[in-house]
This record gives sequence, structure tokens and C-alpha cells, in this order.
Amino acid sequence: MDFLQVVGLRRSIRIFKSWEQVEREKIQRILEVVRHTTCPGNLQPWRAVVVERDKLSRQDREALLAADNYQGAHVQAPVWIYWFSDVDNSGGETFRQRVHELVDLGALPTFYGWTHESIDASIVGGETAPEGMAAVHTLLHNLPREMAALIGRQETVGACAVATLAAVNEGLGTCLHMAAATDKVPVLKSILKVPDGWEPIWCQLVGYPAEEMEAGGQRPRLPFETIYFDGAYGRPFPRDPKVVEDLQRGGLIREQMPKPGRFEELKHLARAFGFPL
Amino acid sequence: MNDIKSYATVQKWIANVDRYYHLSEDEWQGRLRILEDFCYAVEQDPDAMIAEALNDRADKIDFMRRLRSFAKEQGASRHAAHDLENVVRSFFIHNGARVVTRPYAEG
Repeated sequence: MDFLQVVGLRRSIRIFKSWEQVEREKIQRILEVVRHTTCPGNLQPWRAVVVERDKLSRQDREALLAADNYQGAHVQAPVWIYWFSDVDNSGGETFRQRVHELVDLGALPTFYGWTHESIDASIVGGETAPEGMAAVHTLLHNLPREMAALIGRQETVGACAVATLAAVNEGLGTCLHMAAATDKVPVLKSILKVPDGWEPIWCQLVGYPAEEMEAGGQRPRLPFETIYFDGAYGRPFPRDPKVVEDLQRGGLIREQMPKPGRFEELKHLARAFGFPL
Repeated sequence: MNDIKSYATVQKWIANVDRYYHLSEDEWQGRLRILEDFCYAVEQDPDAMIAEALNDRADKIDFMRRLRSFAKEQGASRHAAHDLENVVRSFFIHNGARVVTRPYAEG
């Protein structure tokens, strides 16, 4: 699918064809896409456990649903991808190793100052990084675990955003849900048997949408000129109507919600699935 | 019990649902009859029922348990019973009492 179409069609799908299974190849393709997501220092802190709802024991299924407060979409989606951040591998030492690798492979040019020696001096020794390379000493030297967790979390969130686009590209519906309420995290980790150092970030629901793919239209977005600025805050970045028209033609900018008939659709779906209206 | 439509919780329910879904008069008549029957079964008027459910979680759970029994007694089939339960669940939901909703397959 065209990139603009993918972004333009992405919605948080909340009503799935609960009976329609998702092909394993499509799940793999989502995972493969995320594996190639951008990440500072090539850290790659994300991990995922793919759960097929109908392969769970009743007890585990109920516990995982309870962890997400039995949200309707979670109950319906046939595949749940639990995304975790590996906090133990989000710290300075992992950065150091990955960045060494990037230097050795030619991704980080030595002529910008990236060498094994400068990296070790900055990250391990806390010396000021030479001009030309990132000031990694300020971030990564003596990096406390809470900061490593924060970095792992933010990079995994970014990966999850790509995962949603990858799902749309496969013609699937998807939605990011809270993996588990805080008090249910131990249960989640126990059922999925993940290491202690993994922190749950999102549960990505995947399935074929029972609502139409546009799910009622595009969600309200903040006005362009209130969020983007030119040079400095206060001067809105000019929005060229011709670009907007081009993006409309390309499928990025689509009809806003609620499209006509949206609530009729919801009424029909509630009745079809047996939810209270 | 007074006219079912005279209760504040019922008026709120109708207004909330119709804000989005615009149910027909016939549909509302059917729903109100179900709610009224349930109120008689639990010997509570709608406002009192919601007040209790909001005040005490145990009471809310008890209403849901009684709803299930009530629906089984009234409904001709599992789906009919489920639909009937959903009417009362909807009444609870739109009055701020959180109840678990499940589709047929999980019912």
C-alpha cells in the first residue's frame, strides 16, 4: 500500500471480526517491519510476545483480559502483540556496544569524531564528546536505571507507532491498548514468562476490522498552525493549500469523523456482536 | 412505582442513547418494558437501583447476578436472554454504573 494511504487509513480499530484469524505471515511481516524501525544508537530495546487469543487457556485468557480491564476491543481481537521494553538492554553499555558496531560498519563516520576510543571516553569515562559527534557523555555516562528505562520506553513507543502502520499495510485493523494496569503487570509477566527486566509498553491488538476500515473517518487533529512553527515558536509554519490538496489526492488527508452513517454502523455492530446499546 | 419515564435515571438513559443512536419509539417501548419488569423483579425503582449500584459495588454485582437470573427466566433463547440483559446493562452504563460487557461468544 502507498505510504500516504497507510498513514491516512490508520485508525484505532476497536471492533474486530473476532472469528477471523490473522495469517501468521502477516504477523511476521509486522514484526519484520518493526525490526527495521529507526532507533538512536541502534539500541533496539523493543521485544514482543505474540499471543493468539484462541490458543490461550481460558484461565490465562481471562487473566490477560482482566489486566486490560476487559476492554471490548481486547476481547474481540484475535491476536495480541505485547510490546515490551528490555530495560536491562537500554543502558549505557548496550549503547556503547551498538555504537561501536555502527562505527565498524560505516554508519557513523569517523570523520565526525565517532571512534571506539571517543565513544568509550564519553560513555564510560564521562569525558566531553568531541564536537562533531553527539554529546553522549551528557546522556549516557553513569546512566541511572530509571533513565535507561525511560529511553527504552520512549524508543519502544516509537516502534509501536510503526507497528500500527505495518498492520494497516497488511490490510489489518489494529489498536494500541494498555498492556496491563499497574497492579496487573506481575500477572501479565508471569503468564507470558518474560524476564524481570522487561517492562510492558503496549498491547497491540490485531485482527480484521468489523467496522469499516476508516472507522468513521479521520479523528480530529489540532490545527496545523497551532503545532508547527517556522524558525521559532510563535510564527506558524506556512501551510500551502496546494500541498494539502496533493495529500488529499494521495489519501493522507481524508474525510473527518463522524462520516455519515457512523452511528448507524455502531448500532448495527453492537447488535450483531451482542453489546449493550 | 411511578411511570417509568418519570424517573431521572430513565430520562438520562434515553437522552444519552438517543444522542447517538436515535432509537425508534417501538424500540424504546420494548426497552422500557424490560427495565420496568426488572425493577419489579428486584423490587426497586430505577433511581433507587442506580443509587444503590453507585454506592456499593457489592450491590451492583448483586443486581447483575439477579439480572442474569431474570433474563434466563424471561428469554426464550440464550441470545434473547443476552439481548434482554443488555438492555438493563445499557441502563446501568448510561447512568455511570460500570458493568462488564461481553459479546455473545464470551457470554
